[in-house]
Amino acid sequence: MRNAAAFRGGWPAAGIGLLLLFPLSSPDAFFLDVFTTGFLLAAFAASWDVVGGVSGQITLGHAFPFGVAAYACALLTSLAGWPLPLAVAAAVLLAAAVGAGIGALSAPLAGPFVALLTLALGEIAHEAAVGNTFFSGPGGYAWGGEGGIPVALPWRDASPFSSYYAALAFLCLASYGMLRFSRSGAGLILRAIAGSPITAQASGVPIARYKRLGFAVGSAFAGAAGAGFALHVGRATATDLSLELSFQAATFAAVGGRGTIVGPIVAALVLHVLFQGLSLPPSARVLLYALTLLVTLRFFPGGVVGTARDLASRPGGKEGARSPRRRGRNRSGEGTP
Amino acid sequence: MTVNPRFLLRLPLLLIGQAALSLHFFSLVSLAAPAVAASRPDALKIGVLAPLSGPYAAGGTSFVQAATLAVEQANAEGGVFGQRVTIAVGDTQGRVDVAKSEALRLVSREKASALVGAYLSEETVGAMEVAAAHRTVLLVPVAATAEITDKVRQEYKRYRYVFRVGYSLPQWAEMIAAFLSDRKVRRYAFVGAGIRWNLELGETLERVVAPRGITPVYTAFYSPGNPAFDAVAVAAAAASPDIVILADPGRNSVSFLKRLREAAPALPALSIGGALGDARLAASIPLSAPVYVQAAAWRGVSPAATAYVERYERRYGAPPVGYSDTLPYDAVTVLVAAWRKAGSAATEAVVPVLERGAFPGVAGAYRFDAAHQARWGTGPGALHGTFVRWERGGALIVFPPRQ
Amino acid sequence: MTSPLPQVLLDGLFAGGTYALMAAGMALILGVVKVINLSHGAFFTLGAYVAYALAERGIVSPIAAAPIAAVIAFAFGVFLAKSFVNPVRNHPFALPVGTLACALLFEQAAQMAWGPHPLSIEAGAPWIGPGGLVIRRWGVIAFLSSAALLGGLKWLLSARPGLPLRLIAEDEEIAGSLGMDVEAIRYLTFGGACAMAAAAGALLSPSGAVTPTMGRAPLLLSLVVVIVAGMDSVAVIFLLSIGLGIFGNACAWFLSPQWSYVALLAAVCLLLSTRPAGIVVPAGRRD
Repeated sequence: MRNAAAFRGGWPAAGIGLLLLFPLSSPDAFFLDVFTTGFLLAAFAASWDVVGGVSGQITLGHAFPFGVAAYACALLTSLAGWPLPLAVAAAVLLAAAVGAGIGALSAPLAGPFVALLTLALGEIAHEAAVGNTFFSGPGGYAWGGEGGIPVALPWRDASPFSSYYAALAFLCLASYGMLRFSRSGAGLILRAIAGSPITAQASGVPIARYKRLGFAVGSAFAGAAGAGFALHVGRATATDLSLELSFQAATFAAVGGRGTIVGPIVAALVLHVLFQGLSLPPSARVLLYALTLLVTLRFFPGGVVGTARDLASRPGGKEGARSPRRRGRNRSGEGTP
Repeated sequence: MTVNPRFLLRLPLLLIGQAALSLHFFSLVSLAAPAVAASRPDALKIGVLAPLSGPYAAGGTSFVQAATLAVEQANAEGGVFGQRVTIAVGDTQGRVDVAKSEALRLVSREKASALVGAYLSEETVGAMEVAAAHRTVLLVPVAATAEITDKVRQEYKRYRYVFRVGYSLPQWAEMIAAFLSDRKVRRYAFVGAGIRWNLELGETLERVVAPRGITPVYTAFYSPGNPAFDAVAVAAAAASPDIVILADPGRNSVSFLKRLREAAPALPALSIGGALGDARLAASIPLSAPVYVQAAAWRGVSPAATAYVERYERRYGAPPVGYSDTLPYDAVTVLVAAWRKAGSAATEAVVPVLERGAFPGVAGAYRFDAAHQARWGTGPGALHGTFVRWERGGALIVFPPRQ
Repeated sequence: MTSPLPQVLLDGLFAGGTYALMAAGMALILGVVKVINLSHGAFFTLGAYVAYALAERGIVSPIAAAPIAAVIAFAFGVFLAKSFVNPVRNHPFALPVGTLACALLFEQAAQMAWGPHPLSIEAGAPWIGPGGLVIRRWGVIAFLSSAALLGGLKWLLSARPGLPLRLIAEDEEIAGSLGMDVEAIRYLTFGGACAMAAAAGALLSPSGAVTPTMGRAPLLLSLVVVIVAGMDSVAVIFLLSIGLGIFGNACAWFLSPQWSYVALLAAVCLLLSTRPAGIVVPAGRRD
């Protein structure tokens, strides 16, 4: 049991410690920038896991709340002139509302229909962002479309160090919040619904309400990541709503381990930093990325962290203890051949 | 089953192995040039930003190819004040965050003296911020959004490092309008992708041609996600315009033109540049009516242009399309000329030189206005661009008329 | 021609044929291998590149290219199924992501082998029908071959040679206990479906431009068709594809081409929220 506990608490603490110390090794601005983006993507991937893993609602439109928050940030600060903190708060609330709406629409649906509906909704949002030249900005030319909308920031040329630490702090807070949620009563009920909707319904759980909740919470965190991304980049663009981004989150979750929250974070950080930070030649980068995904999924089909936890909790496994982590196998409906 | 599964298993393995080998070779070749040059201490480095993976890789690849060619040309002329010029490439992936991050890498890690890029408007606007923060000269070859020059105008002190070599949307519209007048077009149809700059070009063109008595009889934009070509092609033909203007520079313009030729074989079409400038593509389009392509420059407009096209063709096996390759080539040429003229690659020395001088490129002499926009258009001293018509076996320059 | 509307609808019919051509293979994989194959678009692209490579060497007929593309895609498909899909089958989430990575791998390989630039094959003149109606050559071929393919599939699933497929789709354990080589049938089915996608890509290659990412758009639409229609009825797949094609073109004509894609997706959303269990609910099969 002690080993399992160490596995739970020790590694993340060590990881955070390393990440806190990393800027002291005087990396260049580019490397800090890659990490900053990596932190935000990791939070986004984890928020996918709240919906797709914990709640078991495979969404392929998770960029929708992310992009909505980014656009809200941009529009509210640049056009409406709201102060930044207010705009960010409104953006996160809006993302949660969007999530609740998606949840309400998809609640009666099962399995692949949820994926299809979220994919369609996300694509509609993306098309709307690409094809609309929202309003005329102060320059007298159209804003929006593929060029996006700038965010009016109170600072200019933020120091890469402060961006790094702000994003890291955000990631820590957000992942703590998501972990708490996934282990809370609501999180457990969501896992139960994901495991067997019929059983959950038979025990009197209001399924639709919980599905809405799962979507709303996951989308709120996605929105927070989206707002952070817009602040970091200084702009909301249509790629924030793209299918590619949604697929990216699902990919990180699959590689890290669906339903573990920590897994997608680790996968997003490692994959993003490796493939963006090493500045490989473009074609080699894409090929290696795809091969890494294929090989990882071939040998860790439940995700790296998911498989590690399964091993740790297997009787007679390396850790030798039958821990309560056992539910990690079943909650995602995977792992039992 | 009679098929031997072993054979089936081996075939793809073999193919993959072969592919891997050739890929390895490719990456070695593409890596070799910058890597060797980077180790030279007395080299001036140009950072090039372009999308080299994803859906925009076609434009980005020719972008980098042309920039490489221009750097080689500069070195063949003896470099810049005795130093060799080298190139460092950043893949923007068509995303603003990556463009910013790669611009940062080129400036902070590669110590590039100046940047050239990026390809899409949103990438460029992102790279602009990095250039401004690091006081690095940024030459913009293709991105057409008004935001770029507007920022220079509004906040000159911060953004004065940014110069656009390529044409702005009003300039683009002005050149198209002159061509339409020359062809005696009265009614045109405007078809593009449903993206911001295509929509804006359509509006600008309508405004610019109105005094000449030219009107759009049909305007439509298809979704880039799932383009509905059929209805647009049929409707464009049904409006019976004198010419159809294709504003989409990408591969969709090829598919659309094929569809249009099926719907109305006798309807002339004008591509405002991009994919249809590719001779191999044009060869697959029926020439039952003229296909015109607008380009920054073309083989034959000047000795420099001809030399460039021939060098490009020798090097890469196909002639340039005249837009996403020619403009980056000129951007690098202009930059190198400015360095030579300033006698230094220091930003503060280069910006005033770029603001005042005229720099010969393939398309003509580049002069920048107060918003750091190169002068394109129809006026005296402006760069005119070129319109060509595809014929079997090559393209014919049709506008501006040769003096 | 009096009104262009019949032309638009006819073109929609043909567009629907191309969706059906892709959807047929995807549905077969979903039914028998129980995998949502996101690399299906890559096989479509592969077929188009094979057709281009042949056209470059003087063999301009895509009808000749289709069988060659099918054989190559079959080999790749079987390889993919044996090396990745079959071993990972029990993890329903790892599979779509893995096949997506596979598509990415292929797109990049195609970009390196043929270059990122769009390529194009001559389409040939269309036929002119009654009333000046333009009948697009490759549209007719797509429509007829999709009808033939789906008809063949329907026959296969109802006739004796298709029994193993149907049995595996229904219940793998029974199929296994009857002495069927379930694994082999799975990878052969996967390969066969990939071959269908490549043949479709080869057949349709002249109608547009050939690029590394050309498979993405048809993949998305056939995905929509397959998920909404389900695997239970081949006829529904065909009708839904045709319906979407005509609907998309009608929207482009009556509303705006820019929003036809959105209208299409909105229709799918509406369909899903009004019929949460899918449009086909076979008796006694839903839980």
